[in-house]
Amino acid sequence: MSQHTVAAFDAELKELRAAVQMMAATVDTQMQHLAEAIEQPESDAAQRIVAMDRSVDRMQADIEETIVQMIARRQPVAVDLREIIATLKIIADLERVGDMAKSCGKRLLVMGAPGRQAETMSTLLSLANQARSQVVDVMAAFTARDADAALEVWRSDSTTDNLYTALFRELLTYMMEDPRNISFCTHLLFCAKNLERIGDHATNIAENVIFIITGEQLGTDRPKGESPTGSVVR
Amino acid sequence: MTEISTAQKLEAGATAVSPDVRISINNLEFFYGTSKALKGINLPLYANQVTAFIGPSGCGKSTLLRVLNRMYDLYPNQRAEGEVLLDGQNILAGDVDLNLLRARVGMVFQKPTPFPMSIYENIAFGVRLYEKLSKADMDVRVEQSLNRAALWKEVKDKLTSSGLSLSGGQQQRLCIARTVAVKPEVILFDEPCSALDPISTARIEELIDELKADYTIAIVTHNMQQASRVSDHTAFMYLGELMEFGHTKAMFTRPQNPKTQDYITGRFG
Amino acid sequence: MTMAFDQVRYRSRRRRSALTMGLCWFATAVGISALLIILGTLLLKGFGGLGIGVFTQMTPPPGSDGGLLNPIVGSLIMTVLGVAIGTPIGILAGTYLAEYGRHSRLSSVVRFVNDILLSAPSIIMGLFVYTVMVAPMGHFSGIAGAVSLAVLVIPIVVRTTEDMLLLVPTPLREAASALGMPRSLVIKQVAYKAARTGMITGVLLAIARVSGETAPLLFTALNSQFFSTNLNAPMASLPAVIFQFALSPYAEWQKLAWVGALIITAAVLTLSIAARALSAKGSK
Repeated sequence: MSQHTVAAFDAELKELRAAVQMMAATVDTQMQHLAEAIEQPESDAAQRIVAMDRSVDRMQADIEETIVQMIARRQPVAVDLREIIATLKIIADLERVGDMAKSCGKRLLVMGAPGRQAETMSTLLSLANQARSQVVDVMAAFTARDADAALEVWRSDSTTDNLYTALFRELLTYMMEDPRNISFCTHLLFCAKNLERIGDHATNIAENVIFIITGEQLGTDRPKGESPTGSVVR
Repeated sequence: MTEISTAQKLEAGATAVSPDVRISINNLEFFYGTSKALKGINLPLYANQVTAFIGPSGCGKSTLLRVLNRMYDLYPNQRAEGEVLLDGQNILAGDVDLNLLRARVGMVFQKPTPFPMSIYENIAFGVRLYEKLSKADMDVRVEQSLNRAALWKEVKDKLTSSGLSLSGGQQQRLCIARTVAVKPEVILFDEPCSALDPISTARIEELIDELKADYTIAIVTHNMQQASRVSDHTAFMYLGELMEFGHTKAMFTRPQNPKTQDYITGRFG
Repeated sequence: MTMAFDQVRYRSRRRRSALTMGLCWFATAVGISALLIILGTLLLKGFGGLGIGVFTQMTPPPGSDGGLLNPIVGSLIMTVLGVAIGTPIGILAGTYLAEYGRHSRLSSVVRFVNDILLSAPSIIMGLFVYTVMVAPMGHFSGIAGAVSLAVLVIPIVVRTTEDMLLLVPTPLREAASALGMPRSLVIKQVAYKAARTGMITGVLLAIARVSGETAPLLFTALNSQFFSTNLNAPMASLPAVIFQFALSPYAEWQKLAWVGALIITAAVLTLSIAARALSAKGSK
């Protein structure tokens, strides 16, 4: 796209994009640590996730301030307006992703190493990796302004949903087998729910990326995988 | 997903005849001598709606406006071809009475142009051309028009002072009152706020919003924010061509033409 | 301040500035003192002779007392008549140039010819009217004098009318047209109103100009020793009387010439000041 006549506006947009990418990279690091914390209970990865949350929050606040300034001073329209408004929503989703990762990290800390069910942990790891790849892919689509890639992420959310439903059933089975598993399984259940939520946030980001590019809002009929039970609130 | 929604398609095809089209511009071409200033313009102006014309200087937006009341006829070597239908009648036809046409299609100019006479006379003057009113009726008409232009309260005690004694914003509202007083069907605004401060500008914009209940309004403006604030439809013109015409809401969030996008986001040139 | 500018250059520039300023002051002083000397001389030589008799008595024969009644009345008649003939023609022509014929070829020709008339020596105008009026009629007359003054008035009024109408902003005309006003009304009701003070100023300046003209009157109205309001006969005028009396050897006549000069100068000055005041008011 050609340059703005006011070069400072271009510079501000460039800085904004860089700040969002920095925030996304930080959240991705949290997700990496989460995978590590699931695989290696003895590592301090979980603590690191929790510690990073504060800097993610600060990044979000800084970017919000930048956006408020840009709206007040530049009165953006059309593609600029769409980018700035969508960015405002994307960083809120990223911040929630960070929160979800932190919440998982805390639960993994509480659970501790002993009594972990290896098979369940491996399903959880798959779910974590799937959620992470959604976030990574959608932020790549944001950077590349690639509506098709974003749409791909949007569609892939059903995979995350299906993994979540599988894990949910698995955990129910363990709890029914032996009530001593209930405490451990409940923690994992919450973790799984958080990871599923991360997928939802990635889907939201995908919608905003598409909005930037086309100006169209995607319909509400997001593709959904099978739900664990009719009564479980998604 | 990337396909244009139905609403968008309707906007793009909005030139189709619809019952509330007041003015229909068909294949309009305009010449200054031999140079072509407007190229094949097709556009409707809807009744009780505000249509804004935007575009860089020299794009032909003012020229287009001056075709609608045939203001160009005041000057030699300017001519229009094509068809401009006002309520079905082609106003470009040779047998059109220009004075009657201009009484139906009023115009407000870039700089306030009060006549060198009293505030009262500024308004009564135009009315007298076409109507013979008693003094009492004329008083009522003057008051109505000044009220309509949100100026009555400010000038009711000094109707006999010169129109030139008012502030710029008041002068412009006086010009609007004067235009409204002859009861036109269409009002053309040619950059009406470019000589005014922001508060006067806001007053005029508010006024335009109120006036559209009774009139068909076209406004040419260099101020894109103004176009986005006051208009229902926006036409973007470039080098004498109509690049894009559509609902203002869509134009300023998702313009279809890359040129439009470049212009309204400030990426021109 | 650590400006490292070239002191020498700066000083030479200041010197040149001061020199130019000095020359300007000198030129202004020369101009103003010429005016003051004229006014002073007129007052000195003319004021003593000023009395009620000047306005009530006829021009005397040599060696006796008298006044300037007949030339004052003659000048008034011919000036008023000349302006009355010339102004409408001038205004209409100026209106054509500024309003109707702005882009036409004819008007550029008219404008060019008018500019020539504007700067043509007034004696030529006198000769012209002599040829077309005095010679066919066989005698000098007040009406011929008035016509020769009218010929001088026309180009001035044409020029000021056109200039003043051109100063009326185009949007004002367009605004009037946009209300559905016919062209003639736009000019009459809007353009003339907006240009009014300027046009009146132009007429006043034209009066001031012609009231002091001598040459055209010598060829047309000639002069007369008698009180006469007959336009078909020679008529006295202040400039012609001044011309005659000032060149005469008689002290009384010379004195009256000074008085006449003072009266004309005062009248012209008053008109000029009035014109200035009017245009200052108009531009407010």
